[in-house]
Amino acid sequence: MSIDPDDSDETEMDAELEAAEQARSDERIEFYGGKWMSTLPLVIFIVWAIFQSGLLAIGDTTGLVAAMLVALIVSMFFVKGDWQVYANTIFEGMTQRVAATAIVAWLWAGMFADTIQIGGFVSGLVWAADALSLGATFFPAITFILAGLLATGIGTGYGTVIAFSALFFPAGVLLGANPVLMFGAVLSGAVFGDNLAPVSDTTIVSAVTQDSDIGGVVASRFKYAIIAAVLAFAGYVAAGAMLGSPFNVGQGAQSLFVENSNPLGLVHLLSVAVVIATAVSGRHIIEAISWGIIVAFVLNVLLGLAAVSDMIVFTASQGSGVAGSVAFLPFVEVAGPDASAAVGGSLYTGASGFFPLIILILLIVAGAQIMIRGGGFEAIQNLLLDRFATSVRRAELTMVGGTALVNAMITINTAAEIAIAPYIARIGERFNINGYRRANILDANTSALGYIFPWGGGVLVGFAELQTLPEQFEWFTQAMIVNPVQVFPFVFHGWLLFFVFLVSAATGFGLEYVADRESAEVARV
Amino acid sequence: MSRLDAFSEGWSFRSSTPTFERGQEIAAFVTGRENGTQIARIGDTVLRLDTADEGDEDLLDTRVRLRVEDFDTDDHTGRATVLERLGESSF
Repeated sequence: MSIDPDDSDETEMDAELEAAEQARSDERIEFYGGKWMSTLPLVIFIVWAIFQSGLLAIGDTTGLVAAMLVALIVSMFFVKGDWQVYANTIFEGMTQRVAATAIVAWLWAGMFADTIQIGGFVSGLVWAADALSLGATFFPAITFILAGLLATGIGTGYGTVIAFSALFFPAGVLLGANPVLMFGAVLSGAVFGDNLAPVSDTTIVSAVTQDSDIGGVVASRFKYAIIAAVLAFAGYVAAGAMLGSPFNVGQGAQSLFVENSNPLGLVHLLSVAVVIATAVSGRHIIEAISWGIIVAFVLNVLLGLAAVSDMIVFTASQGSGVAGSVAFLPFVEVAGPDASAAVGGSLYTGASGFFPLIILILLIVAGAQIMIRGGGFEAIQNLLLDRFATSVRRAELTMVGGTALVNAMITINTAAEIAIAPYIARIGERFNINGYRRANILDANTSALGYIFPWGGGVLVGFAELQTLPEQFEWFTQAMIVNPVQVFPFVFHGWLLFFVFLVSAATGFGLEYVADRESAEVARV
Repeated sequence: MSRLDAFSEGWSFRSSTPTFERGQEIAAFVTGRENGTQIARIGDTVLRLDTADEGDEDLLDTRVRLRVEDFDTDDHTGRATVLERLGESSF
């Protein structure tokens, strides 16, 4: 773009802006086949997502980006008249605030999560487990608690499942805990954190789509999470006492833990507490997570948990003359002979890890906007309101059931959550159900279902990790790998969270109306 | 309210038909029409709205501030005046 645009550029820009403005004010896009056809972009996306993630078990988010792009192109051919309005509606959808706020929060959350992980948060939890020196009976229960702590800190259930499947799972098997119960406990911890963490991608989506602040959402969902967690903990203790392990390895878990444990890693509980306390005290989520990142960064450097270059590093190529002279800086390195120049570190990978999801939310929101302009959204909404959501109790049961159903089909849970969120908002608003309550129904069932069913994204991530264990440990046999089909009854926290919401919807437990309490504006996210 | 209270809010079973007092001002979404009159349905309670100040414009899915003028606790219905618009739904 030229720095000093000439008049013709400006006119062109004006015309484009005007066309976009017109798309906003224009009521409808007409489709061949009627208003139901405006659901085509999202229908193609959902069919693709079920085929990809549900049937073929491919958890590739960029694959879903391709799905939305193909869906938007194919659907264009069903639009009557000028396609310009359709094209402009895509822009209109992508520029909505709901997508932008989620994107910003994800980027910050990603940086924070990777920075406390590079600082050995997991090693701290391993040390805690070792120090408690629990036997086989209690180990699944404590694994659930520690996995829940990690997931609450880093906000990613998938990351938690990977870390705990690699370390706590084999340790539990060594101790003589039941492998299926161990895997269930790991998945349960992931559900807990995905649901409650202010830096969790699903928490962020649930808050911004329901016009609520993230801190308030976290505080208000604590009651459901803690009821389910207490029952799940008791369940793991009881099941731990009843179910023994069919394997006797005859080797202590101590050695596995000693290698990977560092008590100092637990200081990141402070980083996590800073984020939660700042967010719940009503500060903007960007401010809250920024403080968390700063605390984590400083703790890492001061305590020697991670070097500056672990968090941000410029790796210059050997040929670069300047690089040699600034290589004394802690964040500059000169690449080896075979390595290429790059930028790296936890701040970099934490943000970049969210890039596919960022593009995906922009495209899904664009698809939803087309459905709104084409009348399909209203048609589905009216169907739900007329047939199912005829009273406030039934409306809430419809919200719980609808979220669960979509998440059972689309197993990349954030994508499923974005797709169902507009309906949760609209059905809830038609009964003046408070934004916090709507966000909680949406997120609890999204978090729970993604880790229960054998085809769920979180389950498959863990299963993939378990399959690498026989290569890592001589004593670990193929028979010790837990099949996803075996584990689904044992994801206690996932099931209990789902049932807590079914009961809450049926009885009005935790129900609040818009009039009861005003959730803070989106401006504070 | 201290922010810690945010954790203890909502530990109760809420009625599906909330009641309101005359003169009470509340925020609510306008949720539809009944016999031509705009209404705000709050749970299964219905408030019929006087929208004269808003020029009788269609306020469906708009969040407004209301003043409750009348309320019948037996059949959970009432009458309210729209005072101002507060915002829109995000979708």
